[in-house]
Amino acid sequence: MAPAVQPRRIIIDCDPGIDDAIALLLAFASPELELRGITVVSGNVSIDLTVRNTLQICALAGESGVAVHAGCHRPLVREPIRGLFSGPTGLGKLDLTAPTRPPAGRHAVAFLVEALTAAAEEGAPITVCTMGPLTNLAVALRINPKIAAGIERVVMMGGAYQVPGNRTPAAEFNILADPHAAHIVFSSGLPITAIGLDASHQALSTPERVAMIEAVGGALGRTVGDLLRFWDRGDPARFAGPGGPLHDPLVIAHLLRPQAFATRAAAVAVELEGALTLGQTVPDWYGQTGAAASVDVVTEVDADAFYGLLAERLAAGRRRVVA
Amino acid sequence: MSALPLIIDTDPGVDDAGAILLAAASPELDLLAVTAVAGNVPLDAVVANAGRVLALAGLAAVPLHAGAGQPLVRRQVFGRHSALGAFGDDLVPVRPVAPRRRGAVEALVDAAIGGVERGRPVTICALGPLTNLALALVQDARVAAGIARIVVMGGALSALGNRAPWADFNMLADPHAAASVVRAGVPLTLLPLEATFQALLTEADLQRLEREGALPARVFARLFRASDRGDPVRFGRPGGPVHDALTVAWLLWPELFRTRDAAIGVATAGEVQGHLHADFHGVGDRPVNASVVRVVDERPLLDRLIARLCALPDPAGALEAVAS
Repeated sequence: MAPAVQPRRIIIDCDPGIDDAIALLLAFASPELELRGITVVSGNVSIDLTVRNTLQICALAGESGVAVHAGCHRPLVREPIRGLFSGPTGLGKLDLTAPTRPPAGRHAVAFLVEALTAAAEEGAPITVCTMGPLTNLAVALRINPKIAAGIERVVMMGGAYQVPGNRTPAAEFNILADPHAAHIVFSSGLPITAIGLDASHQALSTPERVAMIEAVGGALGRTVGDLLRFWDRGDPARFAGPGGPLHDPLVIAHLLRPQAFATRAAAVAVELEGALTLGQTVPDWYGQTGAAASVDVVTEVDADAFYGLLAERLAAGRRRVVA
Repeated sequence: MSALPLIIDTDPGVDDAGAILLAAASPELDLLAVTAVAGNVPLDAVVANAGRVLALAGLAAVPLHAGAGQPLVRRQVFGRHSALGAFGDDLVPVRPVAPRRRGAVEALVDAAIGGVERGRPVTICALGPLTNLALALVQDARVAAGIARIVVMGGALSALGNRAPWADFNMLADPHAAASVVRAGVPLTLLPLEATFQALLTEADLQRLEREGALPARVFARLFRASDRGDPVRFGRPGGPVHDALTVAWLLWPELFRTRDAAIGVATAGEVQGHLHADFHGVGDRPVNASVVRVVDERPLLDRLIARLCALPDPAGALEAVAS
């Protein structure tokens, strides 16, 4: 079915990663979105693996046309850290066939600069969806600050605003992995929707929800089901039940169903110097810093609506792949 | 021996002009490109100045690329002599070379990766804040592999700072970029302030440039006089340092420099943000990553520099005839 309105132009910047992979599959199955390109960054696993994983997920979904641009191989300043929950390859226990195509010749940063400059000139700005450390976007912004005019909004998975961190007591992984890049993005003045742990810890992949996804069937249902089973933290005391917080697909879900999310506006600063708090996202709820409240921080998610959407779209995606 | 492929990353800046002119006068070097970075003065002015110096040097065909306009993280600061701003026709009477459309960081990435592919890595003289280089090195692991060496003007180990008590301008202006670059695994030569303070251009040297040189040497002397670079109390004698020009001089005449290996790093946080520390004695656990210049053989160095600059001919299309 054709969407009623002009599709929203997006670029996805990711570091697959299990949750990134599911987010990509959700985006591929959503006709409301016009995916202009995928940029990949070092994060959960090394850049070679995040690129390979992205290409494999594209192949799984029959997305042979979308350009996949390899991006930055390490954070701006700090040494790389890796994700803990996606396994050594970044895709759990999945054993997907080797990619059948190479990444695009253009580097992710060059692509971002070019695509966003063109978007600014055309007056058709693009929504940048980030699911990993913010290195690619930060480097692009420092190389050419004018690309901001080509960005409609940054919808980001990153940060922990009213809840503790995950990788350290203070910091969420994507921000901690490149806090300086996060600083560049948060201080850019760009409109940002920040989906952090506050949101994703409300979206647990409970056994009932995993069963619902598996019931989609086919390669997509089976693959996402496998990924979600691997994703189970096995720490019901911490997460108030079995399952894992499904971070990155919330970015895509927010584009599709904003009404399923509640937000609160704030300026957000990133701690760059603290011995205990490196990478902490510090929201200014009360305007104490005088900085503009350019970030909509997601505070609540309708998790059932989110998982229902995911299952519905994967089913549609499965029909599309089969067709 | 074929000429050394070189890129100068720069924020002109009077002493930067000396470096570019010396490279232009040196057949041992093949200047592939000049990349500009905001530093001494804002980006528009450094690009315009670099364009003028290239024209003055007779290097109008060397591509000029505009780079980062602000540091990675910290609030922007400009140089001590920033009042000089963009060089006008009165100072550098040539039509400036226009920058290319392609940006500095992309040019650096492509040159380095091309260096890997051709088996001929590029050498980079880094004369300003290290922002462009940091933004290039983070993009692709092949960038570091394609750079033979970065010769950095920066650090203040025993002379301490010129822009802060603990830091020279280049490190202070973008400490995060500096910290990132020195850890990137590229061989480094460092010219800290206590080294560049050892080569002071005196009034007699300036007069020699004016007497014996064509337009490039005369303009360099004019630029040098345009801001007072001397500090007799600090240096114990008259004369002003030629800082950045020493990076190119080190490539040409390493026998005039004494170096020591060290593990260097740059403080990104705290009260001494931008301080470059050097471990000459293996006190810490970081491996050696730089060759640090400790002693400069001043007189032969300045004589050779002056001779090279004086050998540069008038550029085509100068706006001012060389009056004697």
